[in-house]
Amino acid sequence: MSTATDLEQTAATWLVRREQPGWSDADDAELARWLASDAANKAAYWRLEHGWQQADRLGSRRGGDRSPPSFVPLRRYWSGLAACLLVVASISITVSLFTQRAALTPVRIATAIGMQRHVVLADGSRLVVNTDSALRTAVDRMSRTVWLDQGEAYFEVAHDARHPFVIRAGDRRITVLGTRFSVRRDGDAVRVSVVEGRVRVEGAGPETGTAAIVTAGDVAVARGASLLVVDRSPMVVEEALSWRTGMLTFDRTTLADAATEFNRYNRQKLTIADERAARLRIGGSFQATNVEAFARLLRGAFGLQVRTSSDTIRVES
Amino acid sequence: MEDDDHLRRWFVRDILPYERELERYIARSCRDRAEIADIRQDVYARLIAGGMAARAQSARAYLFTVARNVLIDRARRAKIVSFEQVADIESSWQPDTDAFERALTARDELRRAMEGLEQLPPRCREVVRLRKVEGLDIRETAARLGVGRHTVERQLTLGLRAMANYMLGGKGRIVRAPLMRRSEGGEA
Repeated sequence: MSTATDLEQTAATWLVRREQPGWSDADDAELARWLASDAANKAAYWRLEHGWQQADRLGSRRGGDRSPPSFVPLRRYWSGLAACLLVVASISITVSLFTQRAALTPVRIATAIGMQRHVVLADGSRLVVNTDSALRTAVDRMSRTVWLDQGEAYFEVAHDARHPFVIRAGDRRITVLGTRFSVRRDGDAVRVSVVEGRVRVEGAGPETGTAAIVTAGDVAVARGASLLVVDRSPMVVEEALSWRTGMLTFDRTTLADAATEFNRYNRQKLTIADERAARLRIGGSFQATNVEAFARLLRGAFGLQVRTSSDTIRVES
Repeated sequence: MEDDDHLRRWFVRDILPYERELERYIARSCRDRAEIADIRQDVYARLIAGGMAARAQSARAYLFTVARNVLIDRARRAKIVSFEQVADIESSWQPDTDAFERALTARDELRRAMEGLEQLPPRCREVVRLRKVEGLDIRETAARLGVGRHTVERQLTLGLRAMANYMLGGKGRIVRAPLMRRSEGGEA
């Protein structure tokens, strides 16, 4: 007799009932009580709820209507709609084209603080999504688009000259045919670091219309109307991407900047309390998620005061 | 409730994708399928009960640390403890670094859902189809199929579990509690 099976059955019964028309506030309160009474109940319920929701895609089999998910950008929706209308207008266009266009609903990929995810897209391109990031991908053999909504990702784009790979980061558009590079977004600033090959960075609006070709060893920083391309050595660019192996590499970096970098990866935040300490320059490779070890080194190497609480590490001279 | 929402999202996004790998890990020291489900459930419950505390580290590492603890606890409680078994649990589980996670595209997800549906027993499949594809509720389904609402609810519950399991990378088999009679539709 399996207890998990019984519990799963109970959780499934809740889920089935919740979808029925008669579900009331009182039922909702009772479900909340049941969930709150035991972590095991939550585990069983959340698991089934998620799996069952994933099968919602079946709803698209009904008739022909596909309402676009809420996160699809409007323009994409219209172009999808236009594609559908074309199919209706021209009988000669094959059904496969229709299904291909319609199936391009973006897939959302997100990471929590301190997490990284490795993802292979349908065209064979590989992504490493860095800490605290969110992106959406709409990639198949016909078109390849990724929206970087937040954070940073490293791309190894599969070569396909006929279908450019397009990354949209805010109002910047980055177009590539096949290469290795990373895109990082901090608010409206977008930084593109190219390890191999070349990519094109351009603005999408009239304000940000400048375009630049960024080649291996270059880092492009775009903010508002400005687009700055800095020539760095390929080694420097590789180091900037060392986060893929869980490491942060600093080279004469101010402690203030290093702290900002660490804070992207950890819930326990490093604060540099005074100007003198903030201006100290450091170098070396450090494990991104081990901020405590980094703080111990600061105490040892620079004699800085380190005070640790559950959510902060305060450093001062 | 706010916290709960965070916890649920973390669990769904950072833990559930590893379900298949977790089950394979558990299966190394346990053969019985029902027991694997029990252990998996136990691991999830502990993760959720542990809540916010350990979440700064990698979710996957945390998941397998908890799984290992659950297995060791079970081995200790068992009357006869095989040293081999404990040694096996103690040996660290090497993460498969090349195992890139596949992002399910909308089309993959639809294909997978259709496969999952396809392999349900006929009656169960029809009830799930009417719910997910046609959007019928239990009363409407019962009227359409000419069967009792109780039957529909039971089939839908079994179907929901099998579908959820399939979408999470499992085999999507119908698993009944032993007390239930087997006469309700065929085995998958």
